[in-house]
Amino acid sequence: MIDQGIKSRPTYEALRRDPTGRRHLYLCAGEGPAPDALSDGPLESWTVAPAAAEGTLRRPQGEGERRFRSSRQLLDTLGRRLAGERMGLRLYAEGPEDFLWDVFGIAQDHGLGRSEVFLKQSGTLARRVQCVHCKTFNEGVTTTIVRCAGCGANLFVRDHFSRRLSAFQGVKIDAEQPGDVPQAERAYP
Amino acid sequence: MGIEFRRDERFRESFSYRNSDAGVLRFPFPFGEDRYMYSVNIEPHTRGGPSPAFAHAFDVDEHYVAECRERALVLADDPGRCQVLPHMMPAQWDTLELLMESLSADYPEHFSLTKDGDAWRWINRPLGLDQSFVFGRPETLPCPPFEYITRQAQGDFTLQDQRDDNLFVDGGMVTTQADWSLDFDIGMSFHEWHGPVPLAHDIGVFDRALRFLLRLQYGQPVRRLNWTMTINPRLDTSPENYPDWGPDRTTVTPENVADKVHLRVELQTLFRLPRSNAILFGIRCYLLSVRDIERVEKWRKRLHRVLTTLPPELAEYKGLTRYRDTLIAHLAAGDDGAALSPGIQPDQTALAARS
Repeated sequence: MIDQGIKSRPTYEALRRDPTGRRHLYLCAGEGPAPDALSDGPLESWTVAPAAAEGTLRRPQGEGERRFRSSRQLLDTLGRRLAGERMGLRLYAEGPEDFLWDVFGIAQDHGLGRSEVFLKQSGTLARRVQCVHCKTFNEGVTTTIVRCAGCGANLFVRDHFSRRLSAFQGVKIDAEQPGDVPQAERAYP
Repeated sequence: MGIEFRRDERFRESFSYRNSDAGVLRFPFPFGEDRYMYSVNIEPHTRGGPSPAFAHAFDVDEHYVAECRERALVLADDPGRCQVLPHMMPAQWDTLELLMESLSADYPEHFSLTKDGDAWRWINRPLGLDQSFVFGRPETLPCPPFEYITRQAQGDFTLQDQRDDNLFVDGGMVTTQADWSLDFDIGMSFHEWHGPVPLAHDIGVFDRALRFLLRLQYGQPVRRLNWTMTINPRLDTSPENYPDWGPDRTTVTPENVADKVHLRVELQTLFRLPRSNAILFGIRCYLLSVRDIERVEKWRKRLHRVLTTLPPELAEYKGLTRYRDTLIAHLAAGDDGAALSPGIQPDQTALAARS
């Protein structure tokens, strides 16, 4: 059930510094630090405080380091930052899949090309799932079947992934035989 | 002589959809052999060939008016069925031009296009439209150009942008689809949007098809047939509305199988567009009930053979699993095993009365 043989899923490689870049920005949905393969030269590093910090923020001391209360806050700041950027920036993002493709989408909106953004999945495998019927996004899904927070349908989490939406597709599992809902399995811890 | 349109047809609720005898015989039956497997099966979209449905760039038939009305109903419920990414405006105008020029040249009794520089006048007689507008100026049309013209055409359309040696589905009008979502897939690359299709990836079909399409030339469109099955003559079998049409698949019985089950054929055409270098992909949908298929001896026998040899992965993907055995049992009696001619043509020019 976990490998459904669907080919729209991205694959990820370890982050490596792109020598053609002139400035390098590492974005992490967790606490970091940046992998050594990136740190061979000047690197800005944006990270996110753990939930245990409960909104408190200890600002890092290192050159080019920033810390955010949430990945949402990091992404909003990224949008403002890229609005004023010039050619030569390389982005390196590390975190759950929805975070990665949110970064990618923001980068695209600001004119960065596919070859200027590098992504590496880490941390939770939990999925953002869009209900194909009512279009509600269900965040942090760890099971093969999830009840849609929008329309209440029991959605099968299909391995079909949209980079634009940073989301997997959820399809009502018992559409043909209403009520015939198998036990959900924990699949994306 | 023009086409006689069946204006009262419905593709929902009452399902008052029928094919005339001529409509049955012009159906683009998709099986040229007794077995079916995925292949690239692309051929030049030249006029003529084994089905009258190939006679024009964009086929118009007796269901035209009713299908345009059905499209309007779907869009009223869900405007997201028509979306085009902002950078595709040149491809929108390319599409409008190609459809208007083709329809007016192929069906002059129903459509006319006159041009005075950029001042164009379009007349669509079956739908009662008379529109003057300025080519290249979206504000002179009642809606964006791609939506405007595809509301007046049968079948779905998508726009593929070509960049980075790939094709991206960056727009579409998708209201008569076989269970895929434009709203979810828009912006995807060629392999991404075909991701859910089983088996074909592993035998290299999509690699070859993409390489072929990247080289598609202006003025040399191509076509292929694809197929699935649908319960009731329902055009909108979208994933969005699957909770509403999915239960139909459990309603097939030996008594109603011939009337409920329809073979759904997509005549897929691909046109390189001149200004944008994008590709217009037409997905023209034809529905024919098993009862009408049975009136053509060759098609009746061949459909039986294709279904009995269909790989289970394909039956599952096409959603046939629940009623396939019922359908095969029904068709078995009409197949004596005699050899059939290769190709899709019906091999007869008149039909027996409906059984």
